[in-house]
Amino acid sequence: MAANANPQAIYKLMRDNVPVMEDTSTGVPSTVVALHADIWALLHDPKVFSSSYDAVHIGQIRPLIPLQIDPPRHAIYRRLLDPLFAPRRVAPLEARTRALVTELIDAVVDDGACNFHAAVAEPLPSTVFLQLLGLPLARRDEFIALKDGIIRPPATTPDERTAMVNETGAEIYAALEEVVAARAEQREDDFVSAFLDAEVDGRQLSHEEVIDICYLFFLAGLDTVTASLDCMLAFLARHPEHRRRLVEDPEVIPHAVEELLRWETPVAGVARITAEATELSGCPIPAHQPVMVMLGSANTDERSWPAADEVDFDREVNKHLAFGGGVHRCLGSHLARMELRVVLEEWHARVPEYRLADGTELAYSQGLRQIDHLPLVW
Amino acid sequence: MRISVDLDRCTGHGRCYTLAPEVYEPDDEGYCVILAADVPVELADKARLGARNCPEDAITVHEDASAG
Repeated sequence: MAANANPQAIYKLMRDNVPVMEDTSTGVPSTVVALHADIWALLHDPKVFSSSYDAVHIGQIRPLIPLQIDPPRHAIYRRLLDPLFAPRRVAPLEARTRALVTELIDAVVDDGACNFHAAVAEPLPSTVFLQLLGLPLARRDEFIALKDGIIRPPATTPDERTAMVNETGAEIYAALEEVVAARAEQREDDFVSAFLDAEVDGRQLSHEEVIDICYLFFLAGLDTVTASLDCMLAFLARHPEHRRRLVEDPEVIPHAVEELLRWETPVAGVARITAEATELSGCPIPAHQPVMVMLGSANTDERSWPAADEVDFDREVNKHLAFGGGVHRCLGSHLARMELRVVLEEWHARVPEYRLADGTELAYSQGLRQIDHLPLVW
Repeated sequence: MRISVDLDRCTGHGRCYTLAPEVYEPDDEGYCVILAADVPVELADKARLGARNCPEDAITVHEDASAG
């Protein structure tokens, strides 16, 4: 667990010793890539480093759209989906996001203590996202358990993991089919309804395409901002000088969001698979090899960043890859940034002085760095 | 100074228009639009800041080109 709490030290060991590492620990050999230069190059070479169906198995029975569609077909879906998450569509959501954050803080502010994960980090992004997509809020806890079943299955072997993930995936498909069937009868003001009437390439989206978009959204929308909020508040609770800066100078918050995204990189890695034999930093990689792209290592690589291991909210240039890079740049990045900023603004206005509860040892999950138990006191 | 954006490289991170909204703005999909290719002197630093923060290196600053 200590490694998950301080991955930056592990990333450095990887960069200095095995920047391109073959990992045989899971049964299927894969390659782990740690250098910023290699990562930037491979994210921009989708022909060789494909993001197709075989790159990662998260219970899906068809390629997820648009993540597992390679160029050039990828672009037809992004043209449909990018506007939904563009700054002009995200800005009008800020007021109701702020109202929701305020409500969540109201519920705990007089207690002097809370588990931040359960009080804010989990309910905020999941509520925002379920409303946007059009899934019933009443089933939020069930949906959160399903996405955790995919992202953090309590499996002890790779085979057990596959079985668990596939079973959970089937439940997610069933839930999505239900909602899509309801919207087919009666449209609402939500993404599912919009997808049912959407066109790509001059034709209507197929039923399967609608489901394949929703499946990806379900996993991406219910987890990443939660993990990011956990990581950010955990950092700020342990670094009072950084926390005080946000309290005294709220205008720095957008920069703090970027710098904490860089330093913490809540989505620590993304998956690719080689379409052909290739090499990185002189290391050969065979064809059809899964590749784990360590975004967190790229973001802390001293070869590419001045003062890489300093968390500096005044960093003038911050080209972090916390949302990936190249054609698969995180579709929800503008929404995520808005939510992260609004939470940091409202929380520090209401709870300026806080720290971790005494004796807390934080347990970060691997891959997507969530902290289920984040006890703060003030 | 002149600036240009390579839309084959821009993937819509939005760092440019967030940091320098006087120089860049998003289109309806969140990709970069340059408000005026010829950058007035008083906005030159802002234009550079947006360009230097592009994660895709999609923005080029032509320092020698004179404004309008």
